[in-house]
Amino acid sequence: MPKLTIDGREIEVPPGTNLIEAARAAGVEVPYFCYHPYLSIVGQCRICMVEIVGQPRLAIACATPATDGMVVKSETSERAKEAREAVMEFLLANHPLDCPVCDQAGECLLQDHAATEQGGQFATHMVETRRTFPGYERRLIGPHVIQNQNRCIHCSRCIRFTREVSETAALTYKSRGNSAYIDTFNGEPFADPFSACAADVCPVGALTVRDFRFRKRAWKLRATPSVCPGCSIGCNLFLNHHERVVYRFTPRENPEINATWLCDHGRFLADSLNAQSYLHPHHRAAGQLSRVTWSEALRALGFDLKAAHTLRVVGSANLSNEELFLARELFVGHLKGEMVVPVWAGEQRRMKNGRGEWQQATDAHPNSQGARRLGLRVVDPAGLSRFLYGAADLTIVLDPTAHPVLAEEEALQLLRVSPTVAFARTEHPIANVASWLLPTTSMACYDGTFTSSTGAVQRFSAAFEPPGEVRRTAHGGMSPTVPTLAQPYGPPAEARPLWFLLTVLARELGATSLDLPDVESVFALMSGREKGFAGLDWDKLAGPGEDSLRERQHVG
Amino acid sequence: MEPVLLRARGVPNSRSIDTYLAAGGWSGFAKALSMTPDAVVQETIESELRGRGGAGFPTGRKWSFVPKDHPGPRYLICNADESEPGTFKDREIIEHDPHMVLEGIAIASFAIRSNTAYIYIRGEFVRWAAILEDAIAEAHRRGWLGKNVQGSGYDLDIWVHRGAGAYICGEETALIESIEGKRGFPRLKPPFPAVVGVFGKPTVVNNVETLACLPHILTRGAKWFASIGRPKNTGTKLYCVSGHVKRPGVYELPMGVTFREIIEGPCGGIREGHTLKAFFPGGSSAPVMRATEVDVRADFDACAEAGTMLGSGGVIVLDDSVDMVETAANLAHFYAHESCGQCTPCREGSDWARDILDRIVAGHGRPGDPETLLRICRFASQGMTICPLGDAFSLPISSIVRKFPEEFERHIQAASAVPQKKLPVLPWAGSRPGFGS
Repeated sequence: MPKLTIDGREIEVPPGTNLIEAARAAGVEVPYFCYHPYLSIVGQCRICMVEIVGQPRLAIACATPATDGMVVKSETSERAKEAREAVMEFLLANHPLDCPVCDQAGECLLQDHAATEQGGQFATHMVETRRTFPGYERRLIGPHVIQNQNRCIHCSRCIRFTREVSETAALTYKSRGNSAYIDTFNGEPFADPFSACAADVCPVGALTVRDFRFRKRAWKLRATPSVCPGCSIGCNLFLNHHERVVYRFTPRENPEINATWLCDHGRFLADSLNAQSYLHPHHRAAGQLSRVTWSEALRALGFDLKAAHTLRVVGSANLSNEELFLARELFVGHLKGEMVVPVWAGEQRRMKNGRGEWQQATDAHPNSQGARRLGLRVVDPAGLSRFLYGAADLTIVLDPTAHPVLAEEEALQLLRVSPTVAFARTEHPIANVASWLLPTTSMACYDGTFTSSTGAVQRFSAAFEPPGEVRRTAHGGMSPTVPTLAQPYGPPAEARPLWFLLTVLARELGATSLDLPDVESVFALMSGREKGFAGLDWDKLAGPGEDSLRERQHVG
Repeated sequence: MEPVLLRARGVPNSRSIDTYLAAGGWSGFAKALSMTPDAVVQETIESELRGRGGAGFPTGRKWSFVPKDHPGPRYLICNADESEPGTFKDREIIEHDPHMVLEGIAIASFAIRSNTAYIYIRGEFVRWAAILEDAIAEAHRRGWLGKNVQGSGYDLDIWVHRGAGAYICGEETALIESIEGKRGFPRLKPPFPAVVGVFGKPTVVNNVETLACLPHILTRGAKWFASIGRPKNTGTKLYCVSGHVKRPGVYELPMGVTFREIIEGPCGGIREGHTLKAFFPGGSSAPVMRATEVDVRADFDACAEAGTMLGSGGVIVLDDSVDMVETAANLAHFYAHESCGQCTPCREGSDWARDILDRIVAGHGRPGDPETLLRICRFASQGMTICPLGDAFSLPISSIVRKFPEEFERHIQAASAVPQKKLPVLPWAGSRPGFGS
């Protein structure tokens, strides 16, 4: 293990660590634009210049491995500072001064560096006409990515991403020298399944995501650690939200699963979390749905459940481990009902981890592995149909979007036979047949864990209180329907997380051991009872610790 | 002096292998085959041959960096991407004596135990690529290349790879990328090509002129070679003289003659009615020299001592009719066009310097421009870039600014005499550190 000194701080790092990572371990921030820990090292931007005592020339920290006894000066070196200032002058010589209208502002490495490194003081005697790329200032190069070549600092991160990670080699340099620009190979559309990651790795606003552009300024967004609901791989991500609206997913580093990548399919599910079609509990009497209060609904539902001789429950592999556990304990354990979890294969998804290995998704749900671990009966579409053909006094559907079969007319006819309780969030035909329609919230409103297909139990966190209806403006912005001074996020909705509703039902049914105050307690109970979750610590399931600098630099 | 590298110039039918064999050709390689590869390396080290491509690195030592225990293939590359402005020696060798180059390649390949060699030739050299192809075919027919050369058990194939006309591909790692079929971007070093080169294998890249010296070193001995020229700067050198001399051309002279001897000797001096103003001693990438420095010896060490470099030996002579600012602008245009665009200081700096120089030449120079140029040059050289192209444009331009300040002064004063359009001054500018303030 080489031991070195960086700016007077001693640090021991694994062999082969470069000076950027070594400095970070020592608490020294070396600026960089082209370096990315999951991409090859090219040393193009030249901003990471450091002084190594005893070497006549400055060295680039990204391409210099730490060696034993090395004495490195970064912030303390006048020469390195001077060189970095010069590199910034070079970079900014042709970079447009359009930060106020650039969507990257706030999460732009170049802007951050210009603002912090030289105390925000910057002057240049560059009086020449700036280099521009007419026709390349606002170019849609693929379904999700917009290019502004004027802002490009030629770090080649996007090119390396498509070559080394997504393996499509869809992006490339064209022309030479200062006229070099990024283009798609052969001019074909940039239809990479990971295309938005190219915009993620772009340190400046040269590549931006079309779906997020101008929806929200980056500094207004809050980031809540979460897990992708798109498939069973379980990529780590941040929910970026503001005023109870989710604006986007950004990758959260996890070398074991998704490094710092997200596929376009998962990433653009972010907007789906904003859908909240059902805001209040409803009961169907004489064929008409009418609004009821929660206390009426849950009390009456308690009576119905107690009265039912046969009870069947359609679970969902989209629910968290805690919700599945509560449902199993309550409906199967306490009420002796029958429960299945339908699993849908969906489209094949894949993701590359930090070691460069591809992982395949086995199904389209984030938590089918969790259902299996809890010993629940996992069924395929045929099994689900057979289950629905069976007779029961009462049917509970925990998540009607769990399987496309549930939206088919055949399934709906079968559900009409006996009373059906539907817990639902988004518009679904089951609302037409359910005798109880109980609104639940998206995963952005509660804590929980998913078990990925590889068996990793990963936690996602509540980002905000359940919102009311979200209104979408013509230009794509989103806001609460009726914001007031007293309630700036609009009137509170009555939708509640499923785990919470299940604990209240448990109280109604007298299963007091399941009447728990928070998800953490549910998890504690589950990890105490279940072998598959034994020994897991709630606090450690949130993934690797947050390193704000690192997150910003990789994603930004 | 008896010509060595240019001995075939003027000989009829000099490109044919028969002419070459009659003059004792391929006997150097035959001798090498009777020795061990290590002995060939040793002989080259003793000859003190230094690379003629520009850097002047000892050739034998370069070979000795190739790992001896490397199991897989290794490669020799002959760099014939002669694109340095003012340099035209390799073309001359290939034109008259292609077999001498092939023999040199064969000797070097044998010395580093390589069975495959590439000749990377400049894209514009269409005719010379054809000459080499013909010579290779001829050597194959006579058994000097291919399987089991002359019954020695040694195999060697030489392939000609034509470049696409990029100056940067003369840089050895960009050249390697180009041979691999990639964009000509120089690689980060280390690892050096001797360890990880073309296709990830150990590779030696040698210049045409360097390789052409090898047959003579083998046949006449390292001692003979080392006796020419000066200590540590041995052998003969091809000087490509262009510009305002009476007889420009390629001249072979012992290493260590002075530039005055070159210019006033075979070149016949400066053209009538003019005097020497400045000269580039080794291609356009070398720092410029004033007329007063004409007595510097034209070898690697003397040039380095004088603050310039022998480079490729392309002597560009400028007489008193030349405007040095225009010269700098001309050079800046070349380097801005040829910068690969990979790393920041060179990509942005070469373009910026060109724009400033163009503006001065167009009569819009400003006080402070020379300082800005010097700052650009300072931070685009000396290890600030991946490859030496940053130095290649910085050194000549900064040397012109330093050595001919009065010419910049004249341009800028002439510009300030004419009323200029006033540029808006930002309220916060002026008190901040920055270029020229």
